[in-house]
Amino acid sequence: MGFIFNWIPSAGLARLLFEAILAALTGIVSLLTFILGRRTYRSFHFRILNARTFALRQSWDSLVSGKIPPATWRFNRLDRRIVESILLDSIETAEPAALPPLIECLRSTGLLDMRIYEARTLHGWQRRNAMVSLGRTRAPEAIPALAEGLDDSDAQTRLAAVRGLGRFALPDAAMALLTRIAEGTLNVPEKPLQNALLSCCREQPSLLVPCLRRAEGPTREVLARVLGELATPELEDDLLLLAVDPLPEVRASAARALARADAQFAFPILSALTADPEWFVRLRAVVAIDTLNHPRSIPALVRALCDVNRQVRQRAATALSRLEPHLEEILERVLATRDGYALQAMISALERSGGLTNLVEALRSPRNPRKAAAILLRALRSASQRLYSRATNASAEDEEQAGEETFAHRDEDTEVVSP
Amino acid sequence: MRHFLTVSNYVLFYYYLVSNLIYVLLLVTAIARNAIHQRRLASIRIDHIKDSPFTPPITVLVPAHDEEATIVEAVESLLSLQYPELELVVINDGSGDRTLEELTNRFALRRANLLYIPEVRSASIRGIYVSGNEPRLVVLDKKSGGSKADAINAGLNAASSPYVCVVDADSILEPDALLRIMVSVLAEPKRVVAVGGIVRVLNGSVVEGGRLTQTRLPRRPIEVLQVIEYLRAFLIGREAWGHFNMLPIISGAFGVFRRDLVQRVGGFRASAIGEDLDLVIRLHRYLREQEADYQISFVPDPACWTEVPSDLRSLARQRARWQKGLLDVLWPNRDMLFSRKYGRMGSIALPYQWIFELCAPVFELVGYITMITAAALGVLSRDFFLQFLVFGYAFATMISIGSVLQEEITYRRYNDWRDVVRLVSFCFLEHFPYRQLQMIWRLQGLWEYMRGDVTWKPLKRVGFHEHAPSNSAAVSEPPVAAK
Repeated sequence: MGFIFNWIPSAGLARLLFEAILAALTGIVSLLTFILGRRTYRSFHFRILNARTFALRQSWDSLVSGKIPPATWRFNRLDRRIVESILLDSIETAEPAALPPLIECLRSTGLLDMRIYEARTLHGWQRRNAMVSLGRTRAPEAIPALAEGLDDSDAQTRLAAVRGLGRFALPDAAMALLTRIAEGTLNVPEKPLQNALLSCCREQPSLLVPCLRRAEGPTREVLARVLGELATPELEDDLLLLAVDPLPEVRASAARALARADAQFAFPILSALTADPEWFVRLRAVVAIDTLNHPRSIPALVRALCDVNRQVRQRAATALSRLEPHLEEILERVLATRDGYALQAMISALERSGGLTNLVEALRSPRNPRKAAAILLRALRSASQRLYSRATNASAEDEEQAGEETFAHRDEDTEVVSP
Repeated sequence: MRHFLTVSNYVLFYYYLVSNLIYVLLLVTAIARNAIHQRRLASIRIDHIKDSPFTPPITVLVPAHDEEATIVEAVESLLSLQYPELELVVINDGSGDRTLEELTNRFALRRANLLYIPEVRSASIRGIYVSGNEPRLVVLDKKSGGSKADAINAGLNAASSPYVCVVDADSILEPDALLRIMVSVLAEPKRVVAVGGIVRVLNGSVVEGGRLTQTRLPRRPIEVLQVIEYLRAFLIGREAWGHFNMLPIISGAFGVFRRDLVQRVGGFRASAIGEDLDLVIRLHRYLREQEADYQISFVPDPACWTEVPSDLRSLARQRARWQKGLLDVLWPNRDMLFSRKYGRMGSIALPYQWIFELCAPVFELVGYITMITAAALGVLSRDFFLQFLVFGYAFATMISIGSVLQEEITYRRYNDWRDVVRLVSFCFLEHFPYRQLQMIWRLQGLWEYMRGDVTWKPLKRVGFHEHAPSNSAAVSEPPVAAK
């Protein structure tokens, strides 16, 4: 094998190595020069930027009102960037009444047209930047330019268009999205789309309904989730239909929306949904019932307290613990179920909310010794049943393990569903 | 003898060549990916994630063992994180100090008979506490299971959110770290099952009220060298491996996981030395076996700041432990090597870990011995030998400066000119003698593991307040299992 290392120099590898050293040293020098150069450039750049920003802010009112003609600064790239940036920041934080002059300034100075032109003609990240800026302008005439971005072949551009439209928070922007959803031509990730629709349909949630009626599969779920967040009592009839939808996600969204509906209307539907075959629908129903916070919900919540799913049990217990004036009645009902898991969940929730102390105090009261005795008797019965079942187990360790397994078994349906 | 030297030199030459080419590939990939990430971030408003009702809840799990010095500030810092639905589960893992008392005094803890189902095995729970003034806080008091993994498993059982974020009690998250780490999850919630954020060196920076208020480079050379190592490991290594969906580790100091999946693979392995590495490899294994379309990502902008060792003894222990952890994970998973079932994990990522991470100190030691001997005996041209050493040094330095460049063009946490000059200067000092010391510590780790010594040796710690610029004595627990 010795020939290899004799061969290396003769084959020119020593020279190659020498060149590699030179390359590495050149790389080091280049990297250092780049770091040094970039730092120096940035320090100069930011010094100038700060000075110009300060100068422009000094005459800001005149700039916005047009007293200082746009021609004096518009052709300077740095000034243009600064003015646009201040304008867009102001628009984002402005009260509705203060918005029109700011948007008008964007229009009259040509900044808006320039961004629309960029969003239509540029490519890649430059186009995406233009779209994001357009979204921040909230000027309705920019919506068509962003809507064109929804049809782009590049996924990131489509995403930027969705985010841009979301920032408008206008029904027109929602329509641009919903039209493409209805046509089935919009291919973007769920979450940004949901957020954009949420923001744009806030004023008119009914915009979602026609599209939702026609949509199928994942699109239907997306729209239902948004409606679940925005639904108003006027949409109760649609919610009723969604509550019996074959898609569990849609039923869950309906349950979420019903939390804001009229209690008389919502209770029967939510009560039915607490018996849904899907655990997360039941969970959503329990959360909605909790939001309504009405004593009429006690029977449904006690039933949910005996659910096979731990999360449903815990949430039902939390909801019940909030109905403090009715705690004695609730405890009686829970004891009547003779369900150890339900009792455990209820006591946990009461401890967490601090309600247990109040309950014990109430039962101690000399005014209701009979009631206290009855409750204690039931509790003892329930406990004696558990003692009996424990006694049948062979050893303490086995018993503990069995208990754990039972719990785990009872919760098996939690495991199979991804969030 | 001469024959052996020739063969070994031949092998080592190509080993080093391939290793450097891989590093160049990783560097180029990381720079490109980072540039894309920066562009994408420009179109995302982090506030919108905070305000969105569709952002999924997260449970932050904080295992704490003898953390009385930092626990209250750490919890306060975590509770002040920007996130819409946050639950914080602190696991007091059999602390012998006043960790639980400190928490009880600050957060008015009271014992509660909460339902706890041990879906994942852990040492037994002594009590569950809820806070009287902070409803998002739950404290589990458990017997020590002898490992951080055991504590996290207990936390997993108590967690109620679909995602869990594991954070070290001696670490500080930036206020928007959770929002930023969730960006990739929210973009593809069905695909992204776990995400890691960057871990940065806290030593030298100023911490006030559990928040990082001023970022400075540490004073001690040993700490600065670790800053470069961390930048290289995260901004080059993790970034590039994550891009190819071959990320072998998410740091135990800061990572988000889908809770149901972690529970499905049995939680963290309590006996693992590098529990973070072990979990990620098992997740890859499980998901590959299920033929799932998944992604385990790295996001470079959500930062977690953590203490690193500032004396040689602690650093040596830490590095030996990382090496043990690596072997402890790679050996049981050796069946994944070159198996088609495990795709690129089995054919690229794990072989890389074996050859260029686990065996690196062995190759390095053998290399030093054989090349010096060969040069002395004349088997190898002395000029060539010297040239090779210079090339090795220059190339490794270039990669280190590349990581500083990555930091410069992206996140620029070290704004002070003096910090940058020192950082770059230390890139030239990193490869002698620090690298050789690392080799010895890693070999020591391998040797200890093969002897069966897997005991955890505690490291000194000073708490957040000591990390002012004048700091000179910070020593810590390892924040990451392996590079």
